[in-house]
Amino acid sequence: MSGSNIKITVKLIGPFINQLGFSEKTMEFPAGATVDTVLSSLPLDPKRPKIITRNGQAVTTGEKLGDGDRLAISPLYSGG
Amino acid sequence: MYGWTGNILRINLTDRTHKVEHFDEEFAKKWVGGRGFALKILWDELKPGIDPLGPENKLIVTVGPIAGIPAPNTGKTVVAAKSPLTGGYADGNLGTRVTEQMRKAGYDLIIIEGKSAQPVYLYIEDDKIQYLPADEIWGKGTYDTHDWLYKKYGKGAGVLSIGQGGENMNLYSMVRSLEGRAGGRPGIGAVMGSKKLKAIVIKGSKPIPVADPEGMRKLGLEDLRKVGEIDKKTGWSIQGTTGVLAWCNEVAALPVHNMRKTHHPDAWKIDGERLNNARVATYGCPNCTMRCGITILDHEGHESELDYENIGMLGSNLDIFELDQVASLNYLCDDYGLDTISAGAVLAFYADAIEQGAIKGDFKFGDAEMAKKLLGMAARREGEVGNLLADGTLRMARKIGHNSEAYAMQVKGLEISAYNCKFIPGMALAFGTSPIGAHHKESWVITFELKQTARDSYGPEKAAKVIELQRIRGGLFEFIVACRFPWIELGWELEHYVEYFNKTTGLNWTLNDFWKVADRIYALMKFFWVREFPFWDRTRDYPPMIWFDPKNADTDGPIAGKYLELDKYNQLLDYYYQQRGWDKRGIPTRKTAEALDLKKEADQVEKFTKLE
Ligand code: SF4
Repeated sequence: MSGSNIKITVKLIGPFINQLGFSEKTMEFPAGATVDTVLSSLPLDPKRPKIITRNGQAVTTGEKLGDGDRLAISPLYSGG
Repeated sequence: MYGWTGNILRINLTDRTHKVEHFDEEFAKKWVGGRGFALKILWDELKPGIDPLGPENKLIVTVGPIAGIPAPNTGKTVVAAKSPLTGGYADGNLGTRVTEQMRKAGYDLIIIEGKSAQPVYLYIEDDKIQYLPADEIWGKGTYDTHDWLYKKYGKGAGVLSIGQGGENMNLYSMVRSLEGRAGGRPGIGAVMGSKKLKAIVIKGSKPIPVADPEGMRKLGLEDLRKVGEIDKKTGWSIQGTTGVLAWCNEVAALPVHNMRKTHHPDAWKIDGERLNNARVATYGCPNCTMRCGITILDHEGHESELDYENIGMLGSNLDIFELDQVASLNYLCDDYGLDTISAGAVLAFYADAIEQGAIKGDFKFGDAEMAKKLLGMAARREGEVGNLLADGTLRMARKIGHNSEAYAMQVKGLEISAYNCKFIPGMALAFGTSPIGAHHKESWVITFELKQTARDSYGPEKAAKVIELQRIRGGLFEFIVACRFPWIELGWELEHYVEYFNKTTGLNWTLNDFWKVADRIYALMKFFWVREFPFWDRTRDYPPMIWFDPKNADTDGPIAGKYLELDKYNQLLDYYYQQRGWDKRGIPTRKTAEALDLKKEADQVEKFTKLE
């Protein structure tokens, strides 16, 4: 990892896996990256409602990420 | 009257007689169909305290005004009875060709009374009703039963059947139809079995009465196409309901180890991605363009159709992380005609009780082969263990003792579906107040709770959301009778259903009219319970006590150290009751009942308990 970068594990849920072609991967972002930084680096439909969690806790898009965080990006399921 | 045929087929299995009765528009508008019809008939016709497995119980098969017409996801039928598992009101819906065939045969409601002396199946073709010997299929699983009936009547016939579970009155046996479709979790299969009724076959040839047939046909077909397009665009049915498994694991809501744990490092092995990769076929209900029945080969090579609840309860909740083995357990449940949710909960509770030293036995979490054996024993009520397992977790706990009721994962006797609410207060409330016992079909608030509120909030907004969803999911979709998935998963607006309803019935309803019916049905379902259990109190709306136990809190992951707090849950329950106009015991007040046109029913319930 370069000095000013942080590593984030991105976990996609459901159809996002097929849309983006991966299920889980660790990606590097500049220190200070937010949820939005990660989202805008991915070709996801910005209009589609999503629920995003960091280490299992729901986060808003402006939230700053830390090195080693796990970000799960899921469509807004309604639970069968 | 359009939309409804107005016909009730009443069948008595004791003396093999039947008659056609009629309901009027007032009844139709007050109760609409499905759950509404079933509830009102059971309320009016069942004496409180009857044995649910005796001839006095009635099995209801019913549809709604838009059921069976070509429009998004209208292939569902409701089955209902007094539950042998819970002792309260019980129903369930399932995708089946019965829906369309029953409407074409000219019936909105079938009431099955009495008890046959010999195993029998019913063949209904328009006005012809036959009581036929079921000797050749009695004792067989649902797959063989369906094949046998399809050979005789053709694949287009509507078929409902039970397996060995229903025949032997396993208390969580269900009614099966089509490949993986089943309904009636709280033991409707056992009620059918108690009547020695193995199957119902229906064929019809009459037109369904629709006010604007051409307009509805055009709209329905166009909307089926549109829903299919949205599904393709969003990719929902790639994983269907199982997409939620990986998410539940991320946010600590997965049932693991009898719900003592909320996440597991091996959960990925049984998630929707793995399931989709193993897919060999896709099945769906009639009138559906977003088919969610993902089918894989099980450990023995059978086709097994899985959804999230199946995998959560028969997989992670039992610490079984081999997908083909989970598929085997699911196949067996479908063949025996057992509810996968309760079956998973029962086996997990049994393993847990053994682990806690509350009972002796040789079953351990993770043992798929033994789980298969136990399912067969429970379905056939074989020996002491089979009989113990056939009665559901609450009765098991009462037999086992040693405070095991605290970790019998049920509410009102019905096992909790595959969402672990160790620290999800609103969803715990949804299970607590679900009117047939703990079922996810009534209200599902987890994403709302996590995204739009704080997870640890017990505020009135959560009670309001639970009620809003109960009105839609447990109300609208259960009484017009349609699958909720286009709305919940694809955002297909509710206004479409108002349009289908109005075009079918010729009425001019708005959503507000539907909400009043929904509230009326919820109030009467509660009255049904109170009439059966007159010393009703709010503790019956509590989830299992283990969720309130600090010692049960997760030791790692997103909710480490967290647990539900009983005083705060009580506060949440108060918000719920206040917003519904129910008293502190959770019973609708007289004022609420009368505002919902339930004066007569309130008078009747007052013979059992005083209303506020
Ligand atoms: S979405 Fe699934 S459950 Fe609903 S109608 Fe279609 S196949 Fe049946």
